[in-house]
Amino acid sequence: MDDQGCPRCKTTKYRNPSLKLMVNVCGHTLCESCVDMLFVRGSGNCVQCNTPLRKSNFRVQLFEDPAIDKEVEIRKKVLKIYNKREFDFSTLKEYNDYLEQVEDIVFNLTNNLDVESTKQIMEQYQRDNRDVIQKNKAKLTREQEELEELLLLEQQDSEQRRLETLQEEQRQLQAKRKNKQALLDTLESSKLPAAVLLAQHKDRAAQLETQIEKQKQNVKPTNIFSTGIMIGQTVSLASVSRVEEVLYVYQPVYIDTYGPPVPELDQLGRQGYLNHVRTASPQDQAGGYTSGLACHRAIQDAFSGLFLL
Amino acid sequence: MYHNSSQKKFWTYDKEETLDKLRLEANQKFCSKAISSGKPGINESMFLDGREEKVLFRHYEKRLLDFCAMFKPVMPKSVVGTACMYFRRFYLNNSLMDYHPRTIMLTCTYLSCKVDEFNVSSTQFVGNLQDSPAGQERALEQILEYELLLIQQLNFHLVVHNPYRPLEGFLIDMKTRYPLLENPEMLRKSAEDFLNRAAMTDTGLLFSPSQIALTAILNSATRAGLKIEPYLIECIGLKEDKEILSKMYESMRRITSLMKAYELPRAEEVDPCKQKLERIHAEFASNLKRKHGYEDDDHVVKRQMVAEEEWTDEDLDAL
Repeated sequence: MDDQGCPRCKTTKYRNPSLKLMVNVCGHTLCESCVDMLFVRGSGNCVQCNTPLRKSNFRVQLFEDPAIDKEVEIRKKVLKIYNKREFDFSTLKEYNDYLEQVEDIVFNLTNNLDVESTKQIMEQYQRDNRDVIQKNKAKLTREQEELEELLLLEQQDSEQRRLETLQEEQRQLQAKRKNKQALLDTLESSKLPAAVLLAQHKDRAAQLETQIEKQKQNVKPTNIFSTGIMIGQTVSLASVSRVEEVLYVYQPVYIDTYGPPVPELDQLGRQGYLNHVRTASPQDQAGGYTSGLACHRAIQDAFSGLFLL
Repeated sequence: MYHNSSQKKFWTYDKEETLDKLRLEANQKFCSKAISSGKPGINESMFLDGREEKVLFRHYEKRLLDFCAMFKPVMPKSVVGTACMYFRRFYLNNSLMDYHPRTIMLTCTYLSCKVDEFNVSSTQFVGNLQDSPAGQERALEQILEYELLLIQQLNFHLVVHNPYRPLEGFLIDMKTRYPLLENPEMLRKSAEDFLNRAAMTDTGLLFSPSQIALTAILNSATRAGLKIEPYLIECIGLKEDKEILSKMYESMRRITSLMKAYELPRAEEVDPCKQKLERIHAEFASNLKRKHGYEDDDHVVKRQMVAEEEWTDEDLDAL
């Protein structure tokens, strides 16, 4: 990260934290000061690849890898021409093929493969599809405008709401203050006992509170939002129908041996089977072998399939 | 365990006739194929018929057992049993005229050594052939060539359940649960003999290994003049199920009769069949060579076999 720097003046982000790296269409980096110095006349060649560049095309490098900046730039350009959308195609496959083609073009241009022929393909495409491109462009701008309008509306709405609440708060504050003042006034002039006056004041304060509460509830919620989802409309994110499955119940495995039952491995010793087999030597047992294993296997083999007909 | 093995599922047949039918089908398939090849000088009489194939099969099976018996280091019984079973299963669906049994028997033995974890190297294996080093080399080449074919023909069911372990199991069980019998060990010798002979019959394709082992024990006990029917009834738990008991006696009777029916073919029977077999293989070796299937892939076969039939039975006869 810290060795990110200008290839010309060798300044790095580490040494100069305010270093601003710029990138142009060829995907090679230069720092801002070098750009200012080299492109005084507005145009010049890239230091690294000699591509003729304009100063106005320099952008601030957003990504660590300048190649990505380059790709983003190229993609923007390509998508301006290849602006068809899914409903312009009859089948999904055609649309996918089209997307594939776009990716190929972007990849080729980014990695400098067959640049000339790719550009020719693009030009050819542009010529062939001029109408569609124009139409889609218009459509896109229209949609863009609509969205912006919506956003603007939203902004205005929220601003208005903010102002309203502000006014409301002030009004309430004033009401409270007036209430207090009235209490003081009556205490001064009235002949009634103070306790009664205080109780009256409390009642009025409570009434005021409930009024405020009511007003708060009256605030109308907006019902359109820039994401296009109506507010208040419930969007079910959970899968629609949940399939009720029967719980798994373990069924013990039953194996038909076609023969008499075989004693369990750990029963062999007790039933005296092990007295009739060679005892395992310590060397055998080191590997986990016991004489019971061989004995059990022999008896299993003896009984397996005995009653088979 | 046998009860969920491929042996029970795919290689246990209900009756002898099914086996005979399969073998006959393999034989006829070869004959019709050979005739349709349209070679001059082919007539029905030069093929082996079912009986002749049986004679030759027994002859080569005996050869296989002899080879295993002479094998150094000593081969465990289960390896021999597995090799024998491979040989039997292979010629259930193939004719002896398809592939020469001389090669197949060695391949079966070689494969069973691997499968049953009897660890011998390939040179050590062919070292057991009484042959010149060059001959051994050729034999090994053939074994390796046919190994994949054999595995494929066995349908990749390589685990064979032999009756030897069940026999041990029964002996242990009898010692534990049937103390009336004083020394079950004395049954072992003749029971094992019985199993060795049973390996040379179709019992392995018809009955479960435990049934064969029990038959061996019963047979051995009868010879020694001992009665162990109470063991069957009390310990194996056939007291209340008379039906199973009678059916088990029935299958034991069938096993014993199969074994009695076995006889080793005589030399004068074998020799004319052998001549026929050699002639057929000399005739068809060339055009059946490409039958193995995996040969089509050049990268699998390292070298084309040049000396297909160069080593003969004489190499084995020295055993």
